[in-house]
Amino acid sequence: MVKEYFRPESLDEALELLAAPGALALAGGTWSLAFEARDKPERVVDIGRAVPRTIETRGASDGRGAELCLGAGATFQEIVDSKSTPPAIRAAATSMANRNTRNRATVGGNLGANKSCSSLAPILLALGASVEYKERSKASVTIALADWLAAPGGLVLTVIVPRADGLRASSLRASRTACDIATSTAACAFRLEGGKVAGLRIAIGGFGPRASLRPDVAALFEGKPLPTKADIEKTVAPLLQARADQRGSVEYKRLRGAALVADALHAAEEQI
Amino acid sequence: MKVDFKLNERSVSWDCAPGETLRAALRRKGIVSVRDGCDGEGSCGLCAVILDGRLVNSCQILAPQAEGSSVLTVDFFSRDRKLSIVQRALIDASCVQCGYCTPAVVLALHDLLARSPKPSDEELRDALSGTLCRCTGYEQFYDAARIASERLADPEYVVPLGPEFRPDLRHVGKDREKVDASALARGEKAFVEDRVDSDACHLKLLMSPYAHAWIKSIDVSKALDMPGVVDIVTHENCPDRVYTTAGQGFPEPSPHDQRMFPRKVRHVGDRVAAVLAETPEEAEAAIKAIVVEYEVLKPVLSIAEAKAPGAPIVHHGAVSYVVGDPPAGSSTEGDGRDDPIIYQFPLHADPHRNLAASVADGIGDVDKGFAEADVVIERTYVGKRVQCTPLEPHVVYAKVDADRLVIHASTQVPWHLRRIVAAAVGLPEHKIRVIKERVGGGFGAKQDIVLEDVAGYMAWKTRRPVLFRYDRAMEFMTSRTRHGMEITVKLGARRDGTLTAMDMKVEADTGPYGQHCLTVPMNAVSKSLPLLLCDNARFSVKTYYTNLSPAGAYQGYGAPKGSFALQGTLAELAFELGMDQLDLIEKNMVRSGSRLEILKSLGEGRPGAAVTLGTCGLDEMVARGRKAFAWGEPKPESDDPDWKIGRGAVIIQQGSGLPGLDAANAELRLLPDGSLLMLSGGADLGTGLDTVTAKAAAEIMKLDMTDVTVVSGDTDTTPFDKGAYASSGTYFSGNAAVRAAEDLREKCIKVASGILGEPESDLYLVPRGIVRGKRGEISLAKLAHMATQGEGHGDLVGFGNFKTEHAAFPYGAHFTEAAVNVRTGEVRLRRFHAYQDCGTPINPALAMGQIYGGVMKAIGHSLYEELLFDDQGRPLNLGFTDYKIPSIYEVPDDFHVELVPVEDEVGPFGGKSVSEISLNSAAPAISIAIHDAVGAWCRVWPFTPERVLRAMGKL
Repeated sequence: MVKEYFRPESLDEALELLAAPGALALAGGTWSLAFEARDKPERVVDIGRAVPRTIETRGASDGRGAELCLGAGATFQEIVDSKSTPPAIRAAATSMANRNTRNRATVGGNLGANKSCSSLAPILLALGASVEYKERSKASVTIALADWLAAPGGLVLTVIVPRADGLRASSLRASRTACDIATSTAACAFRLEGGKVAGLRIAIGGFGPRASLRPDVAALFEGKPLPTKADIEKTVAPLLQARADQRGSVEYKRLRGAALVADALHAAEEQI
Repeated sequence: MKVDFKLNERSVSWDCAPGETLRAALRRKGIVSVRDGCDGEGSCGLCAVILDGRLVNSCQILAPQAEGSSVLTVDFFSRDRKLSIVQRALIDASCVQCGYCTPAVVLALHDLLARSPKPSDEELRDALSGTLCRCTGYEQFYDAARIASERLADPEYVVPLGPEFRPDLRHVGKDREKVDASALARGEKAFVEDRVDSDACHLKLLMSPYAHAWIKSIDVSKALDMPGVVDIVTHENCPDRVYTTAGQGFPEPSPHDQRMFPRKVRHVGDRVAAVLAETPEEAEAAIKAIVVEYEVLKPVLSIAEAKAPGAPIVHHGAVSYVVGDPPAGSSTEGDGRDDPIIYQFPLHADPHRNLAASVADGIGDVDKGFAEADVVIERTYVGKRVQCTPLEPHVVYAKVDADRLVIHASTQVPWHLRRIVAAAVGLPEHKIRVIKERVGGGFGAKQDIVLEDVAGYMAWKTRRPVLFRYDRAMEFMTSRTRHGMEITVKLGARRDGTLTAMDMKVEADTGPYGQHCLTVPMNAVSKSLPLLLCDNARFSVKTYYTNLSPAGAYQGYGAPKGSFALQGTLAELAFELGMDQLDLIEKNMVRSGSRLEILKSLGEGRPGAAVTLGTCGLDEMVARGRKAFAWGEPKPESDDPDWKIGRGAVIIQQGSGLPGLDAANAELRLLPDGSLLMLSGGADLGTGLDTVTAKAAAEIMKLDMTDVTVVSGDTDTTPFDKGAYASSGTYFSGNAAVRAAEDLREKCIKVASGILGEPESDLYLVPRGIVRGKRGEISLAKLAHMATQGEGHGDLVGFGNFKTEHAAFPYGAHFTEAAVNVRTGEVRLRRFHAYQDCGTPINPALAMGQIYGGVMKAIGHSLYEELLFDDQGRPLNLGFTDYKIPSIYEVPDDFHVELVPVEDEVGPFGGKSVSEISLNSAAPAISIAIHDAVGAWCRVWPFTPERVLRAMGKL
């Protein structure tokens, strides 16, 4: 039962308020209010005004921008609509549930929920994003997103996506219906150097408690020409540890996840 | 806390609790249009508002978050009773069916047009991606968006006419505005939840956590003392009667096997106690304080388990029969502990062996037929349990007024509801008034008295107004699902494809109680076997009790599963014979003038009789589908090696009400100004039935649609009607309206004859409401005025009763083209065409909307939907997040409905039923298409990617 609602204007104020036991940081509310936190928190701290919301590129003089900065308060629909958003990130953002949800769900909320089915985390991981976050009474820190997701803390301020020329990237998801929670997600980014895969990062969701980078999967393809989809599936499937649930058996999920990785790699390869 | 914001461009300052959602606050303040279909999961979109220019779900926003914002609801577009461009377009495109989602759709389209005045189809899908609609099938939303977009550019834009029928009639066969569409599009008060008084108490249930258990003890003493608690009912103090919740005609074919609160719980979610309290929170707190001790029993979780020797017994009570004797060898003696079971007449049941009902019959010599066959195949098809999922969950508001029980209901069966609640509560029927409000989707689930008995009882007992609304989880757990069925079909044929014998064995799972236990599975046979001509045919039906969720009626009744099994096996036979599947269908299907001998053995609760068909549109429909799909040509090639394309076609049928069993009545009053009041017993559940009866009145009385108001489904003010089920609405209630109008017309002519001094035979009605003779004429207004004077002839009122022995079958031929991914098992529908014969389409576009919606529900069942249980019988997917019904993204790329009129001699203006039949095609058609694409037969619905891969041998 919610007894207190705050909408702090500053980050420090928000962190102070969140220090109370059981306080909920409310971003878009599409997960927390819908499921886990419904009726539970006594204090709700709406962080909408306390975290940045802008989507911008910064750090380069050629106008293209060296890195993309996603404010934690930016909604998925704002990512979709922003001209700064690269295609693979736009695809990931577009795949989030439906328009009503995209209009509320935020970058920070999606990463904070840290779900295995996250729409955004895989592509951000694959692109080597880092995250600037702040904990109470401490200076803000920027670390790799993968590290932050492994041990989340404080409030996310900005996600920084480095931009590199020649990078091919894609983000795909498998779900029963278009608006369903993903059964599995896969995103990848790499360069083709002399017809061979270079600098490959693959992130996969749906296998394990959260979406994560899979260097073991990436290592299968690094430095080689991209194999056929069938060969990718064959080698990737054994590496996927699935749990059976209502969206499928272990065998099915493994097969589906491997197919998704194959599709993601090939989709990225075809990008110009 | 104080929240200041702009609501519909007016400043408001509201006191809100910190945790109150914006939706709750809006409703509390009288904005009823923010509906709730998913308990705040954000998966239905019915509570949408436009917040600072963005379409959002108001259930996922706390009211304090609106501080300083601008909030628009549909009410903004409905000011001064006007309709916005979008509202008008939705009505013109016949998109308003039950209307529960309509306000959300209005907002989504306004939001879309503000961003993109000429939206693409993809933009429309994106705009509506968050809004679920179970009625319309989404297809006509594309028309609405186009119309609205055109009118943005040109306010005078006129919508091109759709198909029209019966040029001899003024309204029938033409598109007219659905009579309730404007109010629903404006988001006005219309549903049960809008009728609730501020002093209403809230009823909450304590539900069984076990699938099968004795209630050893129950202690409510602490709960009763808690603040706000008005009363608590359990099996210890509820009325000691058993009844069926199935809203069916008399004598009820379903066993009386349910007590208001059972002594033994028989499924997860079964009733243990009901708490009535002044607030929902107080009721929920009291629920938690009830102490129950259970003796947990092994549950019965499948048909195989139910019929296994030594299986746990779901019902132990004494079995008795009102008429007739127990079947030989059946057990009737109860254990003295469980609730009794009373059958109104024998159903070949043996409940103590979990057999709720059975029947077997046939024609000809089936064994001889198989012996004469060149090819015999036998296949078993399985249809899993699927949920009706009306977006408005079950809800009732019951109160005592002037020492009578008044029930505001969301029901398909107001009169059956009155009868069942009267019996359950122990009241004579005159003490109960049932008012059917607008129904936010029924689809069969609201043919059952799922919650009105306990709400009525507690209102009557406590004299306090009672609101009882299911949440979505309860809806999944304890509302009605389609019976689980395993159907084995054996077919024999000669080399040329001529069928020599058909055998159909249906086994069904009714769950813990026997509502519709015989009639639904029987319908799997009676609406599928008669499609094929064969001299030798037999069937058997066995329905078992289990401890899964209660099964019941669902649009199509048993026919979708029967059709799946029979049409699927027929296609498999074609494959065995090396024949084209459509050729085999045409070789054996019924046609105009066919003699349907099989109907001798398929009487609905009484002896059947063979029927000679009048005209039947199947030949024409199959021909149209063949042409559209270029059936004789090679199928299209996929340009992606992962995706293979296949095609499937099926023929389908349904009935139009229950001849000889059901009846409908209507009364048409001529009002003093010459306008009409139609009092129809019919229960319009969003299908447009009130529009059908209004049309009947306007057509026959030569008036305009705007001259008629329909009041319907109120047991005090309108005459008896069996209700809206078994595809009876247009045929029965519509025909009753026709007869009432004809009766009024004759009475008007008789009175006019006296006034004009001309013989009745010279008088006739002409538009608009004029009785004309050879010499003079008189308006209906003047007639009515004179009739109500002191020297007049009395009120001019027409009465109509309809019952019939005539069976009117609508037919259809549906075609699909599917793409199947050979790596992932995913299925996409590239095309779905429905050619359907509904007799004269009374409202063509509304009829098409019914078909789109029906097909879309069946596509959901075929590809995505399944109620899942764990190994203890606990349902697993209790919300729209986990149980996926189709969104607009799942609509086939080329989705097409075509009406092929074949007039019925008894139906109103030649009309037949239209909606239920549409659910009978998708499962077999898609299954056949999958086989055509990848060579694997999928015999278990839904065809999830995993099942497709297994059928292909890839898993």
